[in-house]
Amino acid sequence: MTPKIKSVVLLLGLAALLAGCGHSSNINKESERGNANEKMESTMDSKPDNLVHTIVLPHYEPVFPPGPGRDEFVTACVVCHSPRYITMQPRFSRTTWLSEVKKMKDVYGAHISDEQALKITDYLVSINGKPDSGQAPKGTYGE
Amino acid sequence: MNRREFLGIIGAASATALTASCNRINPLVGTPSSPANLVRFPEKTEMIFLTDRPPQLETPIHYFRQDLTPNEAFFVRWHLEGIPTSVDLRTFRLNISGHVRQPLQLSVDDLRSQFEPISIIAVNQCSGNSRSFFEPRVPGGQWKHGAVGNAKWTGVSVKSILDRAQVKAGAVDVSFNGLDVPPLPSVADFVKALSIDHARDGEVMIAYAMNDQTLPMVNGFPLRLVVPGWYGTYWVKALSDITVLPQAFSNFWTDKAYRIPAGPNGTESPKDLAKDTIPINRFNVRSIFVRPDPEETLHPGTPTQIEGIAFDSGYGIRRVEVSTDGGGTWADARLDPELGKYSWRRWRTPWTPTNRGQYRLMARATNAAGDTQSKEQWNRSGFMWNVIQQVDVRVG
Repeated sequence: MTPKIKSVVLLLGLAALLAGCGHSSNINKESERGNANEKMESTMDSKPDNLVHTIVLPHYEPVFPPGPGRDEFVTACVVCHSPRYITMQPRFSRTTWLSEVKKMKDVYGAHISDEQALKITDYLVSINGKPDSGQAPKGTYGE
Repeated sequence: MNRREFLGIIGAASATALTASCNRINPLVGTPSSPANLVRFPEKTEMIFLTDRPPQLETPIHYFRQDLTPNEAFFVRWHLEGIPTSVDLRTFRLNISGHVRQPLQLSVDDLRSQFEPISIIAVNQCSGNSRSFFEPRVPGGQWKHGAVGNAKWTGVSVKSILDRAQVKAGAVDVSFNGLDVPPLPSVADFVKALSIDHARDGEVMIAYAMNDQTLPMVNGFPLRLVVPGWYGTYWVKALSDITVLPQAFSNFWTDKAYRIPAGPNGTESPKDLAKDTIPINRFNVRSIFVRPDPEETLHPGTPTQIEGIAFDSGYGIRRVEVSTDGGGTWADARLDPELGKYSWRRWRTPWTPTNRGQYRLMARATNAAGDTQSKEQWNRSGFMWNVIQQVDVRVG
């Protein structure tokens, strides 16, 4: 990619231009939707051919309460996904949270040690946990 | 420029932009039981906010009081953090390769100009729609009933493209990949597959338009696979690669994820998990209330209208029964005209509550195959919810 293309892409990403979606028959409908979009970072190339379509995704500042394991959670989990993956869940037992952390490590390949996995589980339980039914007592990793 | 380089640059563009404009919301932790946050994403209206990275956005139910769901309100569900945020139609190509005599690289313009356009009205529903209603609760996207929508899709049949590519004898599966990329090399790229016969049934299509407009980026611009009657996991967004395979397709997203118990209606017991599982496939039958609004105050003696939607995998909805007394008595609702076998069908019934107090509304849909909704249902992944819905309303 040349620096020129790079700067074009950046400009597209930052300019909040509203236009049709590449086909003249759609322009009216698109303009009607303009009010809903006027503050969103959605851009179409302003040139007549409208061939580059770019959006800029909004960013939401995550807030994590303090607690043991917080650093491990922020480092290992938020690399790949929003912390809302945790906060949208209902309260789960330690068994369920541990199995979720294990899934991230063993199935998706999250770069965490067994020790870190336990600390992350502690943190998830402390912010969104409920009493366990007895399996997987604290401090064990897996079955 | 390859795809990763391009996405990398786009990522840089996003990072630059987000320092300039940050939409802040309420603190994120401690919200499991708080009311849904609404959020605005590019080309979208205010939607129920599940996650931002990658985006998962749910449609507020009032948008279902019309036949077609507006593009700006249509639900959004991605799996991988690296979603496409810029597409240059001058260089974008849909690649058809694998077990074919004539590999193809087609631009969106080629699709529009060289193939006969087809249109279909079809429901797209997330496998996990209504997951938050399962008891015991299961991990995953905590959708209420809004991970569904009905749209008119216009594009090209996969059959016509495969015919031009001249599929060789012995083809088994066809895989579909999009522009989204995994955040780590260890995470499987999101690729789904259909059998060659399904892919060539003439209904499975590649849509370049949704409700006569180009697709919003987060709904799969510029091309999206449409698999009528099947769960949304197969409707690959930002579709870029079609590969014909002489053997069965296999990857994490079909072998391990998106599987349901092999028994009836994908149901199992929390205490006795099913040993046999199969890939999720066609929709079961369900209906969803869209009126009255839970916040609405109803009055004794004042006529109101109960409304909803119902759909299945394409047999067609034949009957919707409504109860206003918690399932004691049932009466048929009036069905709106059919808009096609893969569209949802709206239904309505007038109701004049007589007394003050609490009423439990229920709705039960039945399709042309005689299938109806569940009384109870559970599976470990929270898929295919179709329990008869209960809505408690207050008349005062």
